[in-house]
Amino acid sequence: MRNTDQSSSLFWIAVGIGIAIRSIKYGLGTFHEPGPGFITFFAGAILTFLSLALFFSSFSDQEKRGGLRSLWAGLEVGKVLYVILLLVAYALLLKSIGFLISTFVLLSLLFRVKGNYRVRTILFMSLLVTAVSYVIFEIWLKAQLPKGILERII
Amino acid sequence: MDIFHHIFFGLGVALQPMNLLFCFIGVLIGTLVGVLPGLGPVAAISLLLPATFHAPPVASIIMLSGIYYGAMYGGSTTSILVNIPGEAASVVTCFDGYQMARKGRAGPALGIAAFGSFFAGTVGVIGLAFMAPPLAAMALKFGPPEYFSLMVLGLTVLTFLAGGSMLKSLMMACFGVVIGNIGLDLITAQPRFTFGLDVLLDGVGLVPVVMGLFGISEVFLNVEEKLSEREIFKTEFKGLLPNLRDWKESIWPIIRGSGLGFFLGILPGGGAVISSFVSYGVEKRLSKHPEEFGKGAIAGVAGPESANNAATAGAFIPLLTLGLPSNAVMAILLGALMIYNMPPGPRLITAHPDLFWGTISSMYIGNAMLLVLNLPLIGVWVQILKVPYPILFPLILLFCLIGAYSLNSNPVEIGLMLIFGVLGYLMKKFKFDGAPLVLAMVLGPLMDNSLRQSLLMSGGSGMIFFTRPICLVIFGAVAIILLLPVLPLISRIRKTVGEAEN
Repeated sequence: MRNTDQSSSLFWIAVGIGIAIRSIKYGLGTFHEPGPGFITFFAGAILTFLSLALFFSSFSDQEKRGGLRSLWAGLEVGKVLYVILLLVAYALLLKSIGFLISTFVLLSLLFRVKGNYRVRTILFMSLLVTAVSYVIFEIWLKAQLPKGILERII
Repeated sequence: MDIFHHIFFGLGVALQPMNLLFCFIGVLIGTLVGVLPGLGPVAAISLLLPATFHAPPVASIIMLSGIYYGAMYGGSTTSILVNIPGEAASVVTCFDGYQMARKGRAGPALGIAAFGSFFAGTVGVIGLAFMAPPLAAMALKFGPPEYFSLMVLGLTVLTFLAGGSMLKSLMMACFGVVIGNIGLDLITAQPRFTFGLDVLLDGVGLVPVVMGLFGISEVFLNVEEKLSEREIFKTEFKGLLPNLRDWKESIWPIIRGSGLGFFLGILPGGGAVISSFVSYGVEKRLSKHPEEFGKGAIAGVAGPESANNAATAGAFIPLLTLGLPSNAVMAILLGALMIYNMPPGPRLITAHPDLFWGTISSMYIGNAMLLVLNLPLIGVWVQILKVPYPILFPLILLFCLIGAYSLNSNPVEIGLMLIFGVLGYLMKKFKFDGAPLVLAMVLGPLMDNSLRQSLLMSGGSGMIFFTRPICLVIFGAVAIILLLPVLPLISRIRKTVGEAEN
């Protein structure tokens, strides 16, 4: 794609068409008695129409000639992907492993992403933050955080 | 007068120890997020929303409101001392505030910002107390067609004022309407866009969406940046009190900024940002020494800082009287009120007077707290700026994770938050604004309901929106707003605001 607006508008055209088709399946009803898909159909159709307008207008926009790569040029995008992976793993393992262990591990890894601290410092900070957040959310605010494999101990 | 009776009643509510404590916590956190670049009031309120579910509703709203106007105060500190605006509404303060600091006048700049904000906050609160009840009384006469047209107007004005591409903002509003309608249809109980997931039957929660769009995405954007040392301006504070000349130059900008900010704040869409820019422009035009603007003119700090604070009070008017949020923060507050089973709208004042008058009065008390908090603690805020980002961002992420999980004790909420976090990150990359999406998401089900009711009322005729006088006026305004970007002057203002927000 020549510029970023063309790429994004194609994505939104697909989303808009998808929404409109799905809404037809839910039932549009009539103007006398609108169905469950009535408003979402119009939202999807207008989204498609506006995305098409963005797509065609982007051809004349001289300011956005950079391609997709230009959005991440000179940036540490690998770190973002790494953080996303860590967070997804945390969401998947939170229930089974429990809050205390998974949070401690997550923080130990996150503190290393942008910082250059000694291992001992990182472990201490992770332990401290995990303990403080446990006291605040579990004990004071009764947030019922998952205990996981430590269920029998705590 | 009746209004004073209500204000005294509100003061009674706001002065209860629990509410005072929550107000203090709110303004303290607000100042903190205002000071910290990369964490605005929208993200902070999103992060703290789940924590308030365990607290009384009135105290919670008092705290969340405190965060909002507290952030406006805090934002000025970083603008003046570091030339980094803590949030978008403080961008203008950088122009002259930082220049004053460079000349060794950081104290008077911070002082006039705080005094101006206090005055403006007071004007805003008084205006809110006087204007909201008659507006609410008028809104009681509104039917579904009027509400539908008002919501269309709200969305249109927001997309117009949000800055950046109006086309993209409208696209996000459409997408937001769909997100807001995920779940069981209220009339037929048919599931929509749930993809067989039971967790979506109740709809997509506001909290994971706003946390993802505004909190997580901001972290992603900061993580990919290469770190640079923040330069803290080293200057001696020779006292915070502005001198007599400073006062003379600031008094009218403060008064004008307060009035401008309040009325622009009522309009849907980024009121605080717009009003600070407009105030700066007005002061520069009215000044006898416009050449000093940008080089350390105190009027360039006093006016915009007053305007952005007054705008926060103005923004509460459409929310509390019509149930229509005028910006992303108000949309989150609307969601919060619905979760607390106190739907905002014209009936809120009579159904929950403690909430309405208590919140208004707490804003006045909160403004006084901010004045006391901000001036002596400026040194502390400057120290907080030195917290390294490698330590700060894991804490923000952890707060989001716990907040999302504790909604239903379900990791799926974390998954939803991450999806919207990635979406928000990409949206910022591709320059799509998140505010219209959130606003439309909150309004989506209400729009669906009022549109269907209107069509049922009219026997299926869309002409109902053009035959009722109020609807006709509102849709006329919508048409004008949609055509306005064609004008070059308006287009330039929107572009400037868009750049400031980015």
